[in-house]
Amino acid sequence: MTQSFPKREFLIVGILAAIVLVVLPCLNAFTPPESAFHVSTFSLSLYGKYLTYAILALGINLLWGYTGILSLGQCLFFSLGGYALGMHLMLMIGRLGQYKADIPDFMVFLEFPAKYPETGGLPPHWIPFKSFWFAALMVVVVPAVVAYIFGWLAFRSRIKGVYFSILSQALTYAACLMFFRNDFTFGGNNGLTDFKTILGYDINSPGVKRALYLCSGGLLLLTYLFCRWLTSTKYGLIQRAIRDSENRVLFSGYATANFKLFVFVLAAIISGVGGALFVPQVSAINPSEMTPAKSLEAVVWVAVGGRGNMLGPIIGAVGINAFKSYATHAFAEQWPYIIGFLFIFVTLFMPKGIIGLPEQFRTIKRRIQQRNKSVDTPAESAVATTSEGVAK
Amino acid sequence: MKKTSLSLLKKLFPVALATSLTFSAAAADTVKVGVLHSLSGTMAISETSLKDVLLFTFDEINKGGGIKVGGKNYLIEPVVVDPASDWPLFAEKAEQLLVKDKVAVIFGCWTSVSRKFVLPVVERNNGLLFYPVQYEGEELSQNIFYTAEAVNQQAIPPVDYMLAEGKKKFYLLGSDYVYPRTTNKILKQYLKMKGIPDSDIVEIYTPFGHQDYQTIVAAIKAFAAGGKACVISTLNGDTNIPFFKEFANAGLTSENCPVVSFSISEDEFRGLPAKELAGHLGCWTYFMSLKTPENDKFVKDFLAWVKDPKVTGVDFKVTGVDPKGRVTCSPMNLSRIGVNLWKQAAEKADSFEVDKVRAALIGQKFKGPAGEVTMQENHHLVNNVFIGETLPSGQFKVIKTFNAVAGEPFSEKFLK
Amino acid sequence: MDMAFLLRRIVIFLIAAVILSSLFARGQDTNEFRRILAAAVIADDGDAQLEGIKQLINSSDELVARALAAWRLGELYVLTTGADEKIPILLDSRLDEEGRARAIRIRDGEYLKGETGEEKLFLASDLTPADTTSRLRRTIKTMLDLYAMANPMPRMRRDAVVKLGQEQNPDYLPHFEARQKIETDPEVKRALNEAIQLTRMADESAAVRNPAIIALGELNSINSLHFLKQFRTTATNDPAKYGQETIQALTASIVKIENHIWWGNVVGTVFRGFSLASVLLIAALGLAITFGLMGVINMAHGEVMAVGSYTAFMVQGIFGTGLMFSLFGNPIRIKGFGLTGTGFDAYFVVALMASFIMAALVGLLLERGIIRFLYKRPLESLLATWGVSLVLQQIFRHTFGAANVQVDSPSFLSGSFTFNGSPIGFNRIFVISFALFIVYGTYLLLTKTSLGLQIRAVMQNRNMASCVGVRTDRVNMMTFALGSGLAGMAGCCLSQIANVGPSLGQSYIVDCFMIVVLGGVGNIVGTVTASMGVGMTNQILEPWLGAVLGKIIVLGAIILFLQWRPAGIFVTKSRSLEG
Repeated sequence: MTQSFPKREFLIVGILAAIVLVVLPCLNAFTPPESAFHVSTFSLSLYGKYLTYAILALGINLLWGYTGILSLGQCLFFSLGGYALGMHLMLMIGRLGQYKADIPDFMVFLEFPAKYPETGGLPPHWIPFKSFWFAALMVVVVPAVVAYIFGWLAFRSRIKGVYFSILSQALTYAACLMFFRNDFTFGGNNGLTDFKTILGYDINSPGVKRALYLCSGGLLLLTYLFCRWLTSTKYGLIQRAIRDSENRVLFSGYATANFKLFVFVLAAIISGVGGALFVPQVSAINPSEMTPAKSLEAVVWVAVGGRGNMLGPIIGAVGINAFKSYATHAFAEQWPYIIGFLFIFVTLFMPKGIIGLPEQFRTIKRRIQQRNKSVDTPAESAVATTSEGVAK
Repeated sequence: MKKTSLSLLKKLFPVALATSLTFSAAAADTVKVGVLHSLSGTMAISETSLKDVLLFTFDEINKGGGIKVGGKNYLIEPVVVDPASDWPLFAEKAEQLLVKDKVAVIFGCWTSVSRKFVLPVVERNNGLLFYPVQYEGEELSQNIFYTAEAVNQQAIPPVDYMLAEGKKKFYLLGSDYVYPRTTNKILKQYLKMKGIPDSDIVEIYTPFGHQDYQTIVAAIKAFAAGGKACVISTLNGDTNIPFFKEFANAGLTSENCPVVSFSISEDEFRGLPAKELAGHLGCWTYFMSLKTPENDKFVKDFLAWVKDPKVTGVDFKVTGVDPKGRVTCSPMNLSRIGVNLWKQAAEKADSFEVDKVRAALIGQKFKGPAGEVTMQENHHLVNNVFIGETLPSGQFKVIKTFNAVAGEPFSEKFLK
Repeated sequence: MDMAFLLRRIVIFLIAAVILSSLFARGQDTNEFRRILAAAVIADDGDAQLEGIKQLINSSDELVARALAAWRLGELYVLTTGADEKIPILLDSRLDEEGRARAIRIRDGEYLKGETGEEKLFLASDLTPADTTSRLRRTIKTMLDLYAMANPMPRMRRDAVVKLGQEQNPDYLPHFEARQKIETDPEVKRALNEAIQLTRMADESAAVRNPAIIALGELNSINSLHFLKQFRTTATNDPAKYGQETIQALTASIVKIENHIWWGNVVGTVFRGFSLASVLLIAALGLAITFGLMGVINMAHGEVMAVGSYTAFMVQGIFGTGLMFSLFGNPIRIKGFGLTGTGFDAYFVVALMASFIMAALVGLLLERGIIRFLYKRPLESLLATWGVSLVLQQIFRHTFGAANVQVDSPSFLSGSFTFNGSPIGFNRIFVISFALFIVYGTYLLLTKTSLGLQIRAVMQNRNMASCVGVRTDRVNMMTFALGSGLAGMAGCCLSQIANVGPSLGQSYIVDCFMIVVLGGVGNIVGTVTASMGVGMTNQILEPWLGAVLGKIIVLGAIILFLQWRPAGIFVTKSRSLEG
């Protein structure tokens, strides 16, 4: 929780960024497939997916770790960003679909041409998404607007704590049901799939996959730096003050609702951007990304990684998903046990998550040392317990 | 002792060792095959049985000497993964199977959306996927073989039957997703062709996992009050239980309002109050109760296998097979048929290469438990279709058979 | 071609003649009907078969009825003997070890015997079933319905009468009238009356027709509404033929019946609203205690419910035919008592108690093992219990199989009665009364017992309670066990209306949290009110908007409602600023 950017963290982030942004893509591009050092396009794309999850986790962390708002609906914004870009990609399929029609397949099948004859079957709100830049703008605007409206309603009436969590869950659940409906014009349960091109390039080519990966890595780094900067400003101070005691901040004359709203919208935008990068790498999106369970899972990544600092959530998101990728293959029948017990273990024994481990070890070490000499200095151990109490 | 023989072997056959080391020392040549079915999450209810029957089929083939390709006998080595009812994970696991494990073929997927997520992956990597569950059609990928029932194989025959039984009013009830919507759209068009007015067709959808069917059942009761009504249900597996419990409790029976269900097979029956469902109808390309020598063997062997599950000849530990109360059903049969068709095609092509196998698959025939099937140009099967009445035992009694119905994925072709 | 056709006609004529002449010659003795049936089964021509079956209208022979029913299901077989003679047979229901059964010859009802006089045994799969067509099956069905009018079970009689009435076939009128004279059951009597009026409604003469139409209106005959409406359309299109009087009578009756149905719908909707509210309440009550009172965000609440459902499944197995499951891969077989009837039905009562105990034990383990370390960090209980829910789901899957298991309804919970056409299920009535019962029980426990006093004390101020000597540790434990036990009972109760499978809990968890929060955390009355509100709104909206949109609107309404009352319907008053 240090305010400045300590050298050690700078070093770690630098090394990680170099590996993610330079070494891995180079290994993918410049080594022959049979080489032991080769990173396949599949792996790279998979890492790219983890990185977009990490972006989502950073958004959650900004909300939960720094402002104390636990939203159980962040995947809604993630999906909205994804849908916004997905719509563009859907329109870019052109006549390569099953029906060789100008409009996406599901629209042909659901008889949209009869419903929207004046546009040849394309619902009016889909038309601007033909432009990539409009879609890119919407990736930011749609989550932001939804978050603004919901946040404005919620924070204005001072809904907080667990009420806010459950309410955000209701929001994403309602949206999920909405998107499942075919009449909602977003492809229903099958969602948006089978994209062919992005900005004119073949979306399945290794080059594009690499570029998408680099975008995800780059954006993650930018998000990281931005969050890092934001939390170290005076603004970040108020944020944390709200987390620790909102009323005191309120009574000090700050409009906490506005601060919270700002953070909420910001987190939604971050999630949306993550979602927009997720979709082309997975080549599909459907409403099940909005189910409450998904958002809950994302919260769990943050908790496991360690909230309240910026590296923890990234470690949690990448770590758990990488582990899941491995375990669903290696222990197809048993992995839910492993991951379930992992969550329990982390919650019980690692309250600060993975990132807090070194500190935890240091505390234990210090305590053992203290115990060795505590016989004559009881006062010191009392101080240690109080500081621990504050740190919780 | 072992060490010396190994080192001797190493000198003599360096290549043979390299392959055999990856598998068990005793194994002959093996070919990896992917199994992509959810073993956890909501879809595990249905998909776990398909994993079981696939492993059973691999065991069957391995016992019979494996697959003869290039003058050698290859045993099937399964690679089982758990996509956990999570669609992006389906795409990831499919790619992992193709790229990392380099499997020759994947058998898997249940829901349409999981197939939609896997489709770009198999096309991108030129893989091969066999899809065994009845679906809405309107799709044809060069990399997917649909052993599943198409709408014209599963939905049209029972409606014909209902019309012949004198039914005049149709209540189309489904879960709100693409398969029911598509099926009902086609059925509505078809019923209109048969002279049923719009006013006598009702179309209703409920969300996934819907638990409360009170209102709908009350509406059906009112709908059926005038007689000559039936329900065509495309509710997905899980929601059938609250629906049928409510249905039976409201005093509706197969006598006063029969229900034709497209997604209840023998396997789903295990969780359903079978005695309350007696007399309702199902339509599939296979029933466990079929009396053919092939089916008798299939059922007997499978029921024996679940008691002692293993895959002969390869180092693979089978876990998580439920030994009790097991049945066979159409998706399971179609999974098994898929494996056998693939085996025959690989033998015919004398290769596991996807392009060659794909070419060899067209026109491939297999005499399965429900009669002979043929793979068509359009990657769908010609299959016998059966309408069955449910019995209190949870089995179906065949009441009508349609021979050699050709699966057609695109509705515009068969509605003409 | 022509010759063949002629020949066929001649054959039909001959068969019909034989049948008819035999009828006239010998009257209607039992064997006669059997012979007619046997002849019809092997007749080559569909029309002749139909004619033959229609002859059986006056038969009261049980074998004929059985054979007809079997024919319809494809269980009537035709045995071809050496002399190319075709013998229709029926297999005995008793099978030997190899699945073979004796064969009953339809012609005379005798068992088929071999040359030495021993009874011959057959395997069903070796025999050829007699052919049927859908037309034939329908005729058979009608015949069986006519027989069913004499069925000992009133419900079967009623269904048969309703069905026959809807055919509006004047040929059946004498049968209805004959039956009406001897019928004692009021419901069947009513159905007979309806059937008679419905059949008369189709009469050519207005003098017969109009009183029948009025009578149907008087009877509030919902089953006839469709026919009345259809008739009105026909009549208004051709008023000259049917006359104004008929049209007026039709309109009056339709209005009357629709009015009747409207009331039924109102009562039905209210009932369904109560019933859904009760389901939500039962599911959420446990959570109202563990989450509402204790502040533990138990994401495994749904799985604790599943523990209750699976307990019901196990108790059912023990009372019934036994059960088998695998514990960590080891198959375990438990022998059942093999009870049937009322003895078996009693399983449910035991299951309710057992599910409470089992779930409470699971809750106890959970509290001791995990939750008690997290009272100071309530949000983190969410993460740990999420892990617990994953583990529990997989345990269910590996213990009871991935498929849903079947929990039978005891007979006293099956069935329904109708109010003006709206079905009111007994299981629903049970759910409503059960909800009332457990809410009242919980209320008593919390307010009238010393444990309740302690619970409330600890929940309001843990430290203070501890200071005045309450053993908070123990109270926490008991409270969590109580909440879990209630969830288990909920699972047992819901096994009667919904599915029991490994991911059962997932379908309730979001709703449960929503209900508790909407009602106001820490307030049981709030939970009751919230589930009433949500259940009612949902059921009122569903007929108009459909199930999906209805649910979305309810969710939207909850979000908006909480803007107005940010801490739920009932706010627990507290002097602490941070609440």
